[in-house]
Amino acid sequence: MSTDLVVSDLVAGYGDAQVLHGVSFTVREGEVCAILGPNGAGKTTLLRALSGMVKARGTITLGGAALTGRPPDAVARLGVAHVPEGRGTFMPLTVEENLRLGAYVRRGPSVEEDLERVHQYFPVLKKRLKQAAGSLSGGEQQMLALGRALMLRPRLLLLDEPSLGLAPLVTRELFRIVRTINEEERTTVVVVEQNAHLALGIAQQAHVLETGRIVLSGTAAQIQADEQVAQSYLGYRV
Amino acid sequence: MAGFVQQVVEGLGAGAIYASLALALVLIYQFTGIVNFAQGELAMFSTYIAWQCVAAGMPFWLALVVTLAVSFAGGMLIERVIIRPVEGAPELTIVIVTVGLFIFVNAAAGWIWTFLIKDFPNPFPGGALEAAGISVSFSTLGVLGVVALVMGLLYVLFQYTRIGLGMRAVATNPASARLVGIRVGRTLALGWGLAATVGAVSGVLVAPLLFLEPNMMGGVLIYAFAAATLGGFDSPLGAVTGGLIVGVAETLAGAYVGFIGSDLKVGVPLVIILGVLLLRPQGLFGRAAVERA
Repeated sequence: MSTDLVVSDLVAGYGDAQVLHGVSFTVREGEVCAILGPNGAGKTTLLRALSGMVKARGTITLGGAALTGRPPDAVARLGVAHVPEGRGTFMPLTVEENLRLGAYVRRGPSVEEDLERVHQYFPVLKKRLKQAAGSLSGGEQQMLALGRALMLRPRLLLLDEPSLGLAPLVTRELFRIVRTINEEERTTVVVVEQNAHLALGIAQQAHVLETGRIVLSGTAAQIQADEQVAQSYLGYRV
Repeated sequence: MAGFVQQVVEGLGAGAIYASLALALVLIYQFTGIVNFAQGELAMFSTYIAWQCVAAGMPFWLALVVTLAVSFAGGMLIERVIIRPVEGAPELTIVIVTVGLFIFVNAAAGWIWTFLIKDFPNPFPGGALEAAGISVSFSTLGVLGVVALVMGLLYVLFQYTRIGLGMRAVATNPASARLVGIRVGRTLALGWGLAATVGAVSGVLVAPLLFLEPNMMGGVLIYAFAAATLGGFDSPLGAVTGGLIVGVAETLAGAYVGFIGSDLKVGVPLVIILGVLLLRPQGLFGRAAVERA
């Protein structure tokens, strides 16, 4: 069965302030989709609508199952892992507890296997298992957030600005790992990112969001080559 | 010297009771950020349920089990019906709601069982353990034992079970807890049920020492507040330690500070609350709100 993510006519906002005005796109199973756009375009809101954190109208389906109207915990149980803005770390809990919470909706021996797998992706976390997560550096916390998301064995991974506040070297490492995860686990990924270069580097498809509407869609290569995108988001002319 | 140790032991006995109610306060505060002013009254109501069961001919320990179960369900129900609608409202609104609950529960108990005092059976045998000139009543030992047991059970629940981990996750970051699939509403209700159960234990422990009447928890609640403030409102271990310290301080002040005596003893927790808020607002075991970003 395909686990394509199909979003159509998505409208969402906060109270009276409508942020998304009819967003439609499809992400094929196992692909990485990058959502680019300036501040305030609605990128974070889009991810929040996908995971049920904000109320949305329109339809969202993952592998045929409707996500629209479900609360975030129900969406998570359908296999959607959202790494939110600010990383969502459980600060006073230990690194290991944070990871185990990622697998909260699952039980059994597979949880231990997944812990092992996360340790392989992020050896730095393994050294800090008993440490309070709040004491980790920003980069380590972002890795923890990603590790926690993996513990769900997600069908769909939503990443909100993974590069935010991180050193360039750490960011590149993080994107390398996201790509590995996508290739090895065939996890579908939607990544929202200001750093268009990095995001396009791992994506097959990309969409540019402006004031709540998709203004440009294409393959990552097409978007990369687009003159206007280059001027607006990549900082150079093609 | 023996006299002093004797006073300390008695202080610990009283402190264990404050500790158990403080524990209930801290449980709710941790999950919801709500200071539940009605906690003492809920404990009192639970105690009446135990009394009613015993009066109906139930053996004490069975009555206790029934009471704890009813309290748990009652706590969950209160969260659903009374607290849920004001979830996320300004703090003052929630404070007023819990004060209203205080008055309502108090009046309801008076209406059902009248304000006449009632004898409550002491589950522990009379007599005392004598050693080195100090006598510790079985009742005090029993109270200390029960509070230690409750503390131990909560520790195991929070540290070693999946539900406990989920509860701690909700307490620290509810939005993120939702994203990993935890049903936050259910967890909050569970927290209230748990707190009501722990509170019921404190009511049942205190009733044989005082008398059972609708206002019996008023004083205990103030001591529990002092205990929770001293230990830190976000630390169960702190609540228990705070309770014991408050109990001992109160007893010693009453016994050795002439002008305090037994009349001004009630002032001790207020002095403690004021002192802590001035010197160390987060309490002995509390976390000050600083974290690495």
